[in-house]
Amino acid sequence: MTGPSPRLQVAAVFRKEVRQTVRDRRIMFMVVAAPMVQTLIFGFAVDFDVDKVPTEVVDLDRSAESREHARRLLADGTLLRSGESSSAEEASRKIDVGLAAAAVVMPRRLGSDLVARRPAEVQVILDGTDPNRASIAGAAASRYFGERGEELMRERLRAAGLREPGQVESVPRVAYNPRLKTAPYLVPGIAATLLVIVTTLVTAMGLSRERENGTMEQVLVTPIRPLWLLLGKLLPFLLIGLLDMGLLIGVGTWVFEVPLRGSLLVAGVGVALYLFSTLGVGLLISTVSQTQQQAFLGGFLFMLPAILLSGIMTPIRAMPDWLQAITYVNPVRHFAEVMRGVLLHGSGLEDLWFQLALLAFLGAAIMGLAVARFRTQIA
Amino acid sequence: MSLDEIQDTGAQRLRRSLIRIGAMAAKETIHVRRDPRTLALALAMPVALLFLFGYGVSTDLDHLPLSVADQDGSDVSRELTRTLGASGEIDVVSRTAAENAENLFRKNHAVGAVVIPSGLAADVAAGKRTKVQLLVDGSDPVVANQVISKVDAILRAASPRLAGLDVVRLEPPLSVKVWTLYNPEGRSALFMVPGLTALLLAITAVMLTALAIAGEWERGSMEQLFATPVGRFEIILGKLLPYLVLGFLALLLVLAFGMVAFDLPVRGRLWVVFLLGFVFLAGMLGQGLLISVVTKNQLVATQAGALSALLPSVILSGMIFPIDNMPLLLQLLSRLIPARYLVHGLRGVLLKGNGLDVLWPDLLAMCIFTAFILAIATARFQRRLA
Repeated sequence: MTGPSPRLQVAAVFRKEVRQTVRDRRIMFMVVAAPMVQTLIFGFAVDFDVDKVPTEVVDLDRSAESREHARRLLADGTLLRSGESSSAEEASRKIDVGLAAAAVVMPRRLGSDLVARRPAEVQVILDGTDPNRASIAGAAASRYFGERGEELMRERLRAAGLREPGQVESVPRVAYNPRLKTAPYLVPGIAATLLVIVTTLVTAMGLSRERENGTMEQVLVTPIRPLWLLLGKLLPFLLIGLLDMGLLIGVGTWVFEVPLRGSLLVAGVGVALYLFSTLGVGLLISTVSQTQQQAFLGGFLFMLPAILLSGIMTPIRAMPDWLQAITYVNPVRHFAEVMRGVLLHGSGLEDLWFQLALLAFLGAAIMGLAVARFRTQIA
Repeated sequence: MSLDEIQDTGAQRLRRSLIRIGAMAAKETIHVRRDPRTLALALAMPVALLFLFGYGVSTDLDHLPLSVADQDGSDVSRELTRTLGASGEIDVVSRTAAENAENLFRKNHAVGAVVIPSGLAADVAAGKRTKVQLLVDGSDPVVANQVISKVDAILRAASPRLAGLDVVRLEPPLSVKVWTLYNPEGRSALFMVPGLTALLLAITAVMLTALAIAGEWERGSMEQLFATPVGRFEIILGKLLPYLVLGFLALLLVLAFGMVAFDLPVRGRLWVVFLLGFVFLAGMLGQGLLISVVTKNQLVATQAGALSALLPSVILSGMIFPIDNMPLLLQLLSRLIPARYLVHGLRGVLLKGNGLDVLWPDLLAMCIFTAFILAIATARFQRRLA
């Protein structure tokens, strides 16, 4: 069969797709502007740093010591005084209705017990509905009173004329993100999330729509070969993906001060390999969906677990082992690691070859499966 | 026009209207039923997601990989290394020199590096305060914070023993007793399930409605509906009813699964849960309707839905990220997101056992949103062709 050359076929479909996309302002908005808006909202909204936990102070002692302890405990900003309660029960009630998330109860005779060297016990009540916040608030209180207890012990040893014991403590120094800000960690992950949302959903729903409308059949009666048709349809999204990536890195570095320590070339290779997977999944979903509604739901059924199990929202190390094993077939995880490696660690190919190889393998496998299905379906 | 029709009573008109709504709802139900894949996806998704969230989302880390460079080489420093590894919180994965630490970070082989200085044993014996250096990979702040606080706590606890003191004889002069209410084991699942319920209801209600109705505009079958005597209120009600039932099914499924798989407690009244869920669902259906009326295109409706319902439900509802930590502007914005009130309300009923006496502001806020969005959607839904 002598038809137009493959290059011509691909170019024709490519031109048609680009025109169609560029002329639909709503689609342009969703592939270019929406990711920017989402990055900005995410970047500003999400802060893993827990501070200003509203705390009730229950001072049953009302001595100079207890007031001093309350003041110094709240001084570092993790806990914030929300009010005073006259009893532990009253503080519990305030936690019940959400007016406070923690309460510190200074027992009666706290000051005189300390002076008389009787052991004293401070009570901390935490709202456990948010376990992360509860553990941070609890740690702050334990740390403060632990340090005070240590100081007191040393004072007493000194007073008794005994030698003070030696002590080992850690001095932390943080590499790559010294102030431990959330945005530099999160923005590369958001980029991975948004790319999968844009490319997978648009491909899955776009192709399903062509099937619904019957326009796919019209194209298939032309001399174009299915493979070139697909290539021409997917290429524009590869370009859009690269463009989005550039924009997101730009927003990240300018607005959120995300460092760019590694090579953009490695990031670009990562994006291209990643898009192979995401476009492949989109194509695969479109081949098993009869309607756009199904394609959307299928896309979500893939994307939500993929995003959730990528280590973007919560650390992969915190997952159970069997779930950690599953995350190895998740392209979003590997791409997020590549992006964080390039941006924050300044990693190069020698550090990231494993992730890139897995991305290439997953991309080839998914795309291969999708193309095979697509071809048998339209044949 | 016959006399009967002129003397048509209100009751009769209402009866006929109800019949038309019923007919619309029946038609829509058949639509949903004839598309078993959509139905299965809409009901399987909540269960699959809940399963993954319950097991997958946790910020509690243990076995953090750490490298230890022991420059002292004494009994004390060896004991220190052993103590770090013995807690189960930390795994000593490497004994590389400090300069090599960043290489380990880049390959994700370690998240922190401890450097024990030479002279540690002598300093401790002399009763001095000795500083051990801890270099942390800050690229994941959650992990980094946990490494810092865990190493600090381990060293603090081990310090007297390393200094050769008899721990038993030393009674701490000041101690802390921590009581954690509602979720004493600190299980992430109990925190996540109420939040997840809001997200899943938002997906089911907004997206399915928006897509179903936008599909009718796309295919032109809406035009045929306009040619019938069915009024626009009747069309809207009839179309939304089946999805309300579907959303309610999803709510029941999520709650039942959470109770069975994750021991989610229901400490408050179940009817309060259903009331909150019902008002929220009605609002989400209204939002889906509004999106479909404005976009009239499924692809665009998806994105509009994702941007206006899904994303805010994840980010701004307090489901994962605490609202108190957001900048003021976003905190104000979150007050416009109904999911915020549902998440807060559900946590209150399920975990704390709150009743409406505490949760009425949440219910009120959702009622206002629902009334408002349904009014706009109905106003925009005109029985004419663009």
